[in-house]
Amino acid sequence: MTAPPEISAPAPRSGPPAPVGKPPRRSGRPYGEWLLAAGLLLPNLLLLVLFTYRPLVDNIRLSFTDWNISAPVARYIGVQNYVAWFHDGNSHQVLLNTLIFTVATVGISMALGLALAMLLDQRLRGRNLVRSAIFAPFVISGAAVGLAFQFVFDPNFGMIRDLADRFLGVSVPDFYQQPGWALVMVTTTYIWKNLGYTFVIYLAALQGRRADLDEAAEIDGASAWRRFSKVLLPQLRPTTFFLSITVLLNSVQVFDIINVMTRGGPQGYGTTTLVYQVYRETFVNNKAGYGATIATIMFLILLVITVVQVRVMDRGMNS
Amino acid sequence: MSQLSRRGFLGVAGGAALASGLAACAGTGSGSSSSGGGGGSANTIDFWSNHPGKSKAAEQKIIAAFEKANPKLKVKLTDAGKDYEEVAQKFNAALAGGNLPDVVVTSDVTWFNFALNNRLADVGALFQKNGLSTSDYVDGLYADYRYEGKHFAIPYARSTIVFYYNKDVFKKAGLPDRAPTSWDEFTQWAPKLQSAIGNGKHALILDDGANYLDWTFQAINWSYGGAYSKEWTPTFDDPKTLKAATVLQGWAKSKYLKTSADSASDFGAGLGAVLLESTGNLGGFKDLPFELGVGFVPAPGGIKACPTGGAGVAIPSGISAERQNNAAKFVEFLTNAQNTATFTQATGYMPVRKSALKEPSEAAYLQQNPNFNVAVQQLPKTRPQDYARVFVPGGGASIGQALDKIVAGADVAATMKALNGTISSAYNSQVKPKLKS
Repeated sequence: MTAPPEISAPAPRSGPPAPVGKPPRRSGRPYGEWLLAAGLLLPNLLLLVLFTYRPLVDNIRLSFTDWNISAPVARYIGVQNYVAWFHDGNSHQVLLNTLIFTVATVGISMALGLALAMLLDQRLRGRNLVRSAIFAPFVISGAAVGLAFQFVFDPNFGMIRDLADRFLGVSVPDFYQQPGWALVMVTTTYIWKNLGYTFVIYLAALQGRRADLDEAAEIDGASAWRRFSKVLLPQLRPTTFFLSITVLLNSVQVFDIINVMTRGGPQGYGTTTLVYQVYRETFVNNKAGYGATIATIMFLILLVITVVQVRVMDRGMNS
Repeated sequence: MSQLSRRGFLGVAGGAALASGLAACAGTGSGSSSSGGGGGSANTIDFWSNHPGKSKAAEQKIIAAFEKANPKLKVKLTDAGKDYEEVAQKFNAALAGGNLPDVVVTSDVTWFNFALNNRLADVGALFQKNGLSTSDYVDGLYADYRYEGKHFAIPYARSTIVFYYNKDVFKKAGLPDRAPTSWDEFTQWAPKLQSAIGNGKHALILDDGANYLDWTFQAINWSYGGAYSKEWTPTFDDPKTLKAATVLQGWAKSKYLKTSADSASDFGAGLGAVLLESTGNLGGFKDLPFELGVGFVPAPGGIKACPTGGAGVAIPSGISAERQNNAAKFVEFLTNAQNTATFTQATGYMPVRKSALKEPSEAAYLQQNPNFNVAVQQLPKTRPQDYARVFVPGGGASIGQALDKIVAGADVAATMKALNGTISSAYNSQVKPKLKS
């Protein structure tokens, strides 16, 4: 029998080792790395502060004034603009429009984008051409798309009217004069334009997924729905998270299509969303202080939504 | 409370940055300190125009003539927007950010806010300083830009509303070849016109509220004795105004009326029997598939029921005196008798100079094109617009929104009462504190 190995007592932690040469930093990184990081980060941070955070602070400051956009001076009026916005009957419609538009565009474009990506991830003839066709509208300017779709939805000569009349024998509503249909019109146009974005991101995610998991599930006899919901979707969760934030922020920003197609109408606020109300109050009604107030409210709403999204997603990832 | 992970923190920070980018889109210019430094070159006159009435070619022709007559000066014609509102937005951006134009097109609705906030030069004084005369401008059109004894623009693309009608449809309906003398007479004609023009088309086409219904409806309102306001006091709940709005709603309910974002195109395509629109559209009505009739706006009892409209040209107060003097010379040239004739013949806008009518080319043109002469003959029947539309910031847009609701069937009295409140609020917050008297 061999003797057990001798166990030596641990060295007493009586203090730091005797200094030898230059002491290392607490983080263990040499100064050179810190300097390099600072050199790389500072230009972007500077731009961010100058062109994003400074205007944000400026905007919040203006939201407490009665600034007429043409005026050289602005008067401090406290929270009057905020009180006015919450008491304005149109604000509720604007919020509702924003909610409907955002939920519809985020939900539909992500669902359709995923469906198309799954379809065109298969080996199909001509799939590259179709992929390009789906992505192409995304790179066209919103104003151009809005202009083109004005003709598509034209109640007198439009393509939709013609198709409905020819194949279904029904008349179409006047998309330009009925608020509900006008909102459908701008929402549809926006989805058509931006579908390529969700499609491409999902396609890239699909091509990077672990196909062996799907094959294993198939061998185990899992149904198509279970393979989709239990194998594929969890793998796409980071992509879905990324898309949900970026598509939401892009949807809330929509301006060009609404401005070209409806100018926020019909009947005043039929398709006015929060960002369009900012424009309308600032540049049409000249109430730049009030416009800044709405922009600040929008910022706070988006901040809350983003924090909630991050937390929900974080919890999902960790679980 | 759980801690945010690093990824979570970065996500929130990124979201905040994006969201703040959105939030920052409203008025990031320092409005409290900007005095419109100007920028620009003294020898180059930057002319900001939306080319009203598709007048770009005419403007370029006039500019070429000016540069020939003034070799030391150059004129840069800048596309400043597709309509008057976009030009005003661009000018507002320049007021906050600098790089002001030398001459800018300002509409009947946009000039006053700039004048009220001391952003426009007194062109009357500038003309006088440079030995230029303003006496030849049509008095009413020149007076439209007066505030506190100063003139803040020179009339340029000035228009009135005229009554356009499809003669073929009128003939088919068995109606006389003329405009009706009152809107009540039109209401009597409407069923015949509707029957003659057929389903899917309409007896009357007007702009919708997002465009210029607030302007054209003013003529209908005046013909019933109503008004948007009596000076600064809104009168949308006046019984005569309510009557006019009720008539408008009645046409819509009976399907005689269609409001449109592009009423002139719809009318030109034969979708309406009657169009109430600017004289500035006349230049575009050249190859219609039907015979065009042009008449006076219905004005029973000879009352003045036709509003003026269109735009003038203004000179910013924030540019150097040298640039202002050059700009004044250009403005005078742009609107001299000969160029007024050139411009009106290209567009259909009214001559803004009295002597322009004596120009041989103009006289011959009006004789050969009697439709163009209607606006000139109607000029004595015009009157300045109500303050609520043209002087209250956002007034025109608010009126248009209310009229859209009325056309769609909203309660007339309640809608007009709410409009009264909107206009009063805008006046009290944005105009009243700045009025000097």
